[in-house]
Amino acid sequence: MTHKQEKSSMLSQGVFIFVYLAVLTVLEFGIAITFNSAVLLVAIALVKAVLVVYYYMHIYKLNAEHEGDEDSYEYKSGTNRIGLWLFLVSDSFVFGGLMVMRINLLGLTHPHLDQTLGLIVTGVLLVSSFFMNRGETLMANGDRKGFITNTLITFVLGLGFLIGVVFVEWPNAIAEGITPGSGPAGAAFFMMTGMHAFHVLTGLIFLLVVLNNARRGLYDEKHYPVEAAAVYWHFVDVVWIFFYPALYLIGAIAK
Amino acid sequence: MIKKNTVGSGLLLLLIAGAVGYGIGFGLDALISGGTPKLAGAVPSAFALLFAVSAFFFGLYGYRGITRGLVWQVMGTLLGGLFVTGIRALMGMTGNKLFGAFFFSEPAWVFGALMGVISFLVGVGVMDDWMKWARGIDTPEHHEDKPGWEKYFGVSLDHKVIGIQYTVTALVLISVGGLFALIFRTELAQSGLQFLSADPTKFNVFNQTGPQFYNTLMSLHGMIMIVSILLGISGIINYVVPLLVGAQDMAFPRMNAFAFWVAVPAAVLLLMSMVLGGFDTGWTGYPPLSSRAPVGVQMFFWGVFTAGWSSILGALNVIATVLRMRAKGMTAMRMPIFVWAAIATSIIAMTATQLIGLSFQMVSFQRLFGMGFFDPAKGGNPVLFQHLFWFYSHPAVYVFVLPGLGVISELLPVFVRKPLFGYRWIAMSSLGIALVGFVVWAHHMFTSGMNEYLRVPFMYSTMLVAVPTGVKFFSWIATIWGGKISTPTPMLFVLGAIVVFLLGGVTGPPNAMVALDLHLHDTYWVVGHFHDTIFGGFVFPFFAAIYYWFPKATGRRMNEFWGKVHFWLMTPSFLMLTFGMMFIGLRGMRRRIADYDAALGFDNMHLILTICAFGIALSVLIFFINIIYSIKHGEKAEGNVWNSRSPEWQVRSPMPAHNYEVPFEVVGEPYDYGLADSKYVEFSATAGKKH
Repeated sequence: MTHKQEKSSMLSQGVFIFVYLAVLTVLEFGIAITFNSAVLLVAIALVKAVLVVYYYMHIYKLNAEHEGDEDSYEYKSGTNRIGLWLFLVSDSFVFGGLMVMRINLLGLTHPHLDQTLGLIVTGVLLVSSFFMNRGETLMANGDRKGFITNTLITFVLGLGFLIGVVFVEWPNAIAEGITPGSGPAGAAFFMMTGMHAFHVLTGLIFLLVVLNNARRGLYDEKHYPVEAAAVYWHFVDVVWIFFYPALYLIGAIAK
Repeated sequence: MIKKNTVGSGLLLLLIAGAVGYGIGFGLDALISGGTPKLAGAVPSAFALLFAVSAFFFGLYGYRGITRGLVWQVMGTLLGGLFVTGIRALMGMTGNKLFGAFFFSEPAWVFGALMGVISFLVGVGVMDDWMKWARGIDTPEHHEDKPGWEKYFGVSLDHKVIGIQYTVTALVLISVGGLFALIFRTELAQSGLQFLSADPTKFNVFNQTGPQFYNTLMSLHGMIMIVSILLGISGIINYVVPLLVGAQDMAFPRMNAFAFWVAVPAAVLLLMSMVLGGFDTGWTGYPPLSSRAPVGVQMFFWGVFTAGWSSILGALNVIATVLRMRAKGMTAMRMPIFVWAAIATSIIAMTATQLIGLSFQMVSFQRLFGMGFFDPAKGGNPVLFQHLFWFYSHPAVYVFVLPGLGVISELLPVFVRKPLFGYRWIAMSSLGIALVGFVVWAHHMFTSGMNEYLRVPFMYSTMLVAVPTGVKFFSWIATIWGGKISTPTPMLFVLGAIVVFLLGGVTGPPNAMVALDLHLHDTYWVVGHFHDTIFGGFVFPFFAAIYYWFPKATGRRMNEFWGKVHFWLMTPSFLMLTFGMMFIGLRGMRRRIADYDAALGFDNMHLILTICAFGIALSVLIFFINIIYSIKHGEKAEGNVWNSRSPEWQVRSPMPAHNYEVPFEVVGEPYDYGLADSKYVEFSATAGKKH
């Protein structure tokens, strides 16, 4: 396979995965508003997460064998990759703990929230993941300009998600009477979206750093920071893949 | 008069700045509260403490490294607090009290504390390289340290320096926690309240009466000891693991430094909690009590949260190091056994620690924003807190003891000159303890009103822990059996650890039985039990490791005679202490109380316990004097002091900056002591080319 074919196949793979994810998201929304099966919703979330973890986060790269010296760039990137994934494992325990809290306090109910807004922010984050993947693929093929354009789109979409949650959804919920102190539904909603928004914010800072360094022409075939920023960004998306059904879709509306 | 950078000038400045800080705090307190500030009031004391500590390091070390970090932390805390106070003033929240009973209001203190931690990290300089990377500036792989003692007070990327920084900080915190124990142990020597008086006119320290102060000391004794243990194991692991696996450094040297330095502001926050009204929850911080305690509990929460990052990032680094940086030929089953223990402990520390951070964070938010996670009046569930909390805090005890058990397994073959019995079994039992440890947490909650059907499965899973632990004991006994035993100080501590940990081990299963636990819960029996496990699993092996690896770090030995005095004074005192605790515990002495009824008849026993506690303190004092003396005047020991097969002893002590000048290759089994012609490692210039 020539270099160009590989690049185009990687790009079209990104498109296919995005289509799968979008269809599954619409499907879970449809299930939620019709017969609302918690089992199906969890299953769909798991499938979506696996798709992102494998095709966007490239978890299989952890297995790659690197020939050469311990001081080589490839070997060090492999070590960095392990470090990043260990951190993600650690971080997912926070979100796991929040999920336990939500299940314990709310059970099979969810807070009364604006469904349209929820679907929109979810879509925005999903599209941002697509562009992140596209940017990373282009960078891996040496197209720095394409990388900058796509990552800039990711950044704008990410910022849109953050604004949508913190400055639209939160006031909206408060107007509906769901405040941090109003009860378990409000507490769970603000804690979970707040913790996730904090991670989005750190991801945005990470993207800014990478963008700025790419603008100065720092990355070429050695572009581990780009990969790290992308993997972290997708991880934040994976968290939302679980938080979205947990907060918006599963079960009846909590009192 | 003041010589530059000496202990003397540090102490002098400590006194001056302490007085100045006290004066400023006193004035501010008088201005803000308007009333008459008390002599041992919270705000003057806090200012005095912060000024004094910063000034001490300034005199000792100048304005750089730790001094700069501390000054920045003080400034960050004040600015963060003022920022929130200003916002509150702008929002017209004066009815909600702009300034609280402790100078700042609670939200201002919390925000200030977090800003203080971040400021410390920026000020100390541990993030410099990352900041440069973010701006696209490359930095050298390693920074060269200047020789001498000064590198220990600033940021260094050398894992050996960081290991010693960790160990010394752990020893400092152990003394602080021990001092707290001595204070309340003295009060407990006799029934009735003697000097911790309940009368505020007789005893009022940091706005707390005697019994309140007792609660604070007792709670902080627990948490400060836990943090010191976490730092202690990190110290040993950091120093030893890269040497054992033949790496030049840890996988991520900058994150390694970060993990150490983040623990320093955490310790400051923990101590601040005592000054800011203290807290009366015990180290567990259960709500609803902790959601009503004074503002000190917030400092406690965020101090633990910050210390947790040290633990998480350190553990992550250990796993990456062992996975990626082993010497040629070092397969999984040829790693030194301590490395297995480090891996097992890191798996727990890296994952479960997040849960204690989260649970404390949620109580903090419950206090700040009224989020009713654990408040039944708001539909919350107080038992949920205990689940989240113990999901870390039970596995945490395995974080404490696994490295210690690894030290025992590592040192034992050296001093009995025999192969380690059942290497694979020991390696797997470490992992086994770690994994079983994740499914036993609710045995702390048999009396807390959780679902009753959960009790039995947790009872059985808890007793299952005894199986992999038992494997270790059988292996140790079989290793000792028929060996040529010699007993220098490290070996004495190893043997002491085995005995004490056995006592801690056999007193554990009774607590696991639901029927018995309903009686034993919250008695001194439990206190005796866990002091046995922690001393056997951490304190004894920690001392053993320090006596054993001290020559590697300094090129000198610690004094053998005083080492033996340390051991023979500490061990009987300690055994008497915990036996006594269990004895009165079985008879109904409750935990965590400042006073007890004379009619219970425990007075004599409590007096003995107090004397034993002072015995331990004296022995540790001897240890400190020994260590300080031996750094300069100890007997020279630059070779293979203990006649060990381990790679780090095959080169001269102290270790050079980048470890092995000639890399080694593993060619045999690690513990084949006594087998003729067997070798573990071979040094050759080609061994470095690998992967």
